[in-house]
Amino acid sequence: MTRLRSLIQTLMALGTNAYLLFPFGGSVIYQGPLKAMCHPGLNCYSCPGALLSCPVGAFQNFMASLRFSTGGFPLTGAIVVGYLGFIGTAVGRLTCGWVCPFGFIQDLIHKIPTPKFSLWKPLRWVKYAVLGLMVVVMPVFFVDASGLGHPWFCKIICPAGTLEGAFPLLLLKPSLWDTVGLFFWNKLAVLILILVAAILISRFFCRVICPLGAFYSLFSRISLVQLEYIEGNCVECGACVRKCPTGVVPNQEFDSRECIMCLKCVDACHFRALDFSMRRPPGKPAKVKRVTPSL
Amino acid sequence: MSKKVLWLIIIFTILFIIGVNAGELGYLINLGNTVCLSCIGVG
Repeated sequence: MTRLRSLIQTLMALGTNAYLLFPFGGSVIYQGPLKAMCHPGLNCYSCPGALLSCPVGAFQNFMASLRFSTGGFPLTGAIVVGYLGFIGTAVGRLTCGWVCPFGFIQDLIHKIPTPKFSLWKPLRWVKYAVLGLMVVVMPVFFVDASGLGHPWFCKIICPAGTLEGAFPLLLLKPSLWDTVGLFFWNKLAVLILILVAAILISRFFCRVICPLGAFYSLFSRISLVQLEYIEGNCVECGACVRKCPTGVVPNQEFDSRECIMCLKCVDACHFRALDFSMRRPPGKPAKVKRVTPSL
Repeated sequence: MSKKVLWLIIIFTILFIIGVNAGELGYLINLGNTVCLSCIGVG
């Protein structure tokens, strides 16, 4: 399962950043109809290779220009909310574990051999504040002199924008260096901090900061798919807990909002106490299947 | 599939359709076709 996940993560990261003409003149970023669709994960649409839009960036821009909507139905970002809500209802945070390019980058750099640390759990609530304040409230209400809002999460924090967008663009268009200012150096510092934290603490950004993960996590308890715990098979060996990249205790925290359904715990369990399945109707328990452990 | 999930899927589908009909697809394309200066920290 781990290899399959790595393969899908690689294919998604490369497949959605497959615009390879940027070094050969013409547009420095992809400009085409695919940009009408958002990436289900966090992927900067200013990355020269990006084929899809970033859902977080797009939604903030909808919010930022909300008060400029004139005539007809206002542009509220309903398309983004509908799209992400549909994905969240269907698969919850599975997207974070299998599809998100920035999650994949964190998985890779966490393999760097250093001492590893666990996360102070209350920090997990920060991402909901980031979602509410920086993605929704601030773009609407923190406006400049002309009354235009800004995508504050992109502007102040988003490490995907700095890594996937800023570096390649500054390399391709050196003239952009003339406009580099305080915001860039702030974002560079944030990127370095987040990358160092992700080396030391598994999936640090996803667990603490990511507003997209926060949104998807709202559906963890109702999504169509679930990580199923089969109590009768569990011997409480703790193998699942040791493998979990987001610090979930699968046999105690059912349908955890932190679970990204990477299924490492399913692989780690030799007693088949965990399974990935369609959600059962309430009151219908999972079947206990006694198995010989395959150690 | 529980009723709650079914309702959510219907609501989000309607939201998506509302967005499409309000012209948000065009807005998304315009957005994606320009370099986001805020994203790269130079805006």
